[in-house]
Amino acid sequence: MATDKTNLQLVVNGILNENPIFRLVLSMCPAVGISTTVMNGFMLGIAVLFVQVCSSCTISLFKNVIHPRIRIPTYTLTIATWVTVIDMVLAAYLPEAYAKMGIFIKLIVAFAIITMRLEMFACKESVNASFWDGIGMGLGFMFGMMALGFVRELLGMGTILGYDVLGFKPLLFFVLPFAGFFCVGLMMAFFNYVEIVYKRAKRA
Amino acid sequence: MKNILTIIFRLTVACLLAGLVMGTTFILTNKAKKHNIHVNEQKVMLSLLGFSEKNPAPASVAMHEVYRYLVGEGEGLGMGYLLPLRDGTYSFVTLDLAGGFVAQTPVAISPEKVVEESERTPAIGAAIGAEKPLRYADQTIVVTNDGKRMAYLLPGRFPGFKTFINAMLAVDPGFSILGLEIMEHEEDPGLGAEIDQEYFKNQFKGKQLETVKKLEVVKTPLPEEYRKGLEADKSGLGAEEVARIQEQYKDNDIYALTGATISSRSVTNGVKAMVKKFAYRVAILDRVLAEQHIATPF
Repeated sequence: MATDKTNLQLVVNGILNENPIFRLVLSMCPAVGISTTVMNGFMLGIAVLFVQVCSSCTISLFKNVIHPRIRIPTYTLTIATWVTVIDMVLAAYLPEAYAKMGIFIKLIVAFAIITMRLEMFACKESVNASFWDGIGMGLGFMFGMMALGFVRELLGMGTILGYDVLGFKPLLFFVLPFAGFFCVGLMMAFFNYVEIVYKRAKRA
Repeated sequence: MKNILTIIFRLTVACLLAGLVMGTTFILTNKAKKHNIHVNEQKVMLSLLGFSEKNPAPASVAMHEVYRYLVGEGEGLGMGYLLPLRDGTYSFVTLDLAGGFVAQTPVAISPEKVVEESERTPAIGAAIGAEKPLRYADQTIVVTNDGKRMAYLLPGRFPGFKTFINAMLAVDPGFSILGLEIMEHEEDPGLGAEIDQEYFKNQFKGKQLETVKKLEVVKTPLPEEYRKGLEADKSGLGAEEVARIQEQYKDNDIYALTGATISSRSVTNGVKAMVKKFAYRVAILDRVLAEQHIATPF
């Protein structure tokens, strides 16, 4: 049962149609907890992108020898291995990047989005399709995190990427974790609205 | 039955493979990782003492490492310090729990090997007789300038929100804090991870022993003027202005980070415990060194 989508369609699918945060509503804990600034969102996005692509390719490669009854433990094992390997390699060869990225990478092991993508996609599809699906999901997650980070950083601290753009702090409430829920909810509504408008325009 | 055996077999193979991959990566990267940590530590030590690449430490400044051990068990528990001596050799001084001198044993080890725990501990064990259990506790770096004590560097480890926080603390001979640096932590980004930001860790700068002893965390917002003083690199305030702000707030408690009271409290309590215990221990060690006429370079 191979996918009939092209590589580009797979990537766009991850960013828009099946955006991990706004459409699949997965990995909400990090989305709510960490998306306080654009930079944090970007960092976690990069980390997820790497782990997603590596894990998807691995599972896709070994899909025929994984016993169906122990799929999930095998996925968790794969993700944990990749997280550990990336963590150690970064610490050894890119200490500057590790100083910034380290805490984000260690956070990933239990992310729902990665496990879910392995279960829904990588265990049925070819390595090539899984690779592009991983890229799409990673970029989609990064886009969602950065969009959330943008709103929360601007409204909470009055800054973008650390630069003071407003000169004052409008609503400190937005940097606190529970404000993440409000942001996710409002942005989800916004994206749904865009979709409805788009569909209507297409029909008309 | 056959099914279960297949499952067990495949899961075992998967675990072994994962272990093999992680183990291989560990062996390949560990040396480089250790080297990076060491380089970073050296840099942090110098910056905590106020030196940098532009303003290098003068040749009269020297660092002497003292390693603390727990010796024995139960009733016979005592403390041991591995000290460098003036003639370049090492000596292991054992104290009992009341702080009384027990023994001084020379330890045959070279300065290159003493930094490796796997080399150091067996060497001490061989010197004092292997029947006593020996446990490494921590290390202290005594910084001297022209033979006079200038500062102590204390690498420390205390529990954070999820796991341990590794930090390095610099105190002057009167136990006032010169600076705090967070070396490694796993606090949540955007919340507890802010502990490594200047506006938090610089709050400890300039606090005296008496203040540190009763340091608490307060949840009131950080005053804007204080924040500017703490982030001198960002706000561009002059050294005089920073010193004035530091003086004004030096007896204040620590302002908690927004949404991360537990992390703020862990760091504050960790620093408090480190300074208090160190001040107590170093007084005992100094008394013993003076009584026994042990010639250390500090």
